Amino acid sequence: MHIMEGYLSPQWCIIWWIIALPCVLFGIYRLKHITNADREALPLLGVTGGFIFLLSSLKLPTPFGSSSHPTGTGLSVICFGPWITSVVCAIVLLFQALFLAHGGLSTLGANVVSMGIVGPVVGYTVYRLLRNSPVNIYITVFLVTALADLSTYIVTSFQLALGAVHPATGNVGSSVILFLGIFAVTQIPIAIVEGIVLALVFKYIVLLKPTILLRLKIFSEAKINAARGDD
Amino acid sequence: MHTYRLEILTIVAIAAFCMVFLYTSSISRDTAFAGTDSIAAAKISGSSGTSPEKIQPLIPQWVPPSGEIESTLFGLQAAIGGGFIGGVFGYWIGQKKNG
Repeated sequence: MHIMEGYLSPQWCIIWWIIALPCVLFGIYRLKHITNADREALPLLGVTGGFIFLLSSLKLPTPFGSSSHPTGTGLSVICFGPWITSVVCAIVLLFQALFLAHGGLSTLGANVVSMGIVGPVVGYTVYRLLRNSPVNIYITVFLVTALADLSTYIVTSFQLALGAVHPATGNVGSSVILFLGIFAVTQIPIAIVEGIVLALVFKYIVLLKPTILLRLKIFSEAKINAARGDD
Repeated sequence: MHTYRLEILTIVAIAAFCMVFLYTSSISRDTAFAGTDSIAAAKISGSSGTSPEKIQPLIPQWVPPSGEIESTLFGLQAAIGGGFIGGVFGYWIGQKKNG
């Protein structure tokens, strides 16, 4: 989902930077607050952030003959919300812009907005809707992860349609459809597999360290006990 | 007592994903599996008739000199993530053992 260096017009680079920066700064503030309040939150942050590092480095083949990577943001979104997730994404995207030429410094703002802000906000909305519903924890993790991933690529499609340095087609509408075809449709199978894998990871967090999930009020005790019982 | 339904589902999903990949790569020998980033970039540069090399970076950027160097750095990124994950799960297992 990276927008490559030089492919976004300067004014759009600035707009996305202006949107991304306050969110990341607020995330840093939230991060300090949470880790000061509860030192046991730090290992959980290590696992959820670790999956963003790990999964966003894996470029997987799509059934359409291209390749793309998962975002890995689902667990972090559920455990720490979208703002802290945007901090981890900003670190990963900075690493990839500096050392891998995947994305660039001018397009970093746009890439943080898609992977670190809008995707996580969509995931977090799904989590808040399902948290107190009868829906099983693992189905919740699956949906949050898959939709955070997919919406990231949908945002990238819109960003390129609106602000590419050269318009890809005659008008914005047809460019959106073109880029959705390249980014979003191809992403569906990757998002599904990512959702299932992170649901499994969450199962092991529930089995090994349910206390931290309760202390951070991520899911209710009744739901966690139910999840420990079945599957 | 917990069952292994989720583990089995994960294995089936990954296996199905690999099968789709094997099928896609077998039906067409010239499928490149290029990154979606570069496919989109090619559409953008192609629409204006400029080659991707001609699109100037707004901020100068270091580019890995070869695919090998690039894959090393991607491997490093994955290793950092994997290190954190393994370390924390080990820490939690240790905590659980010690009550």
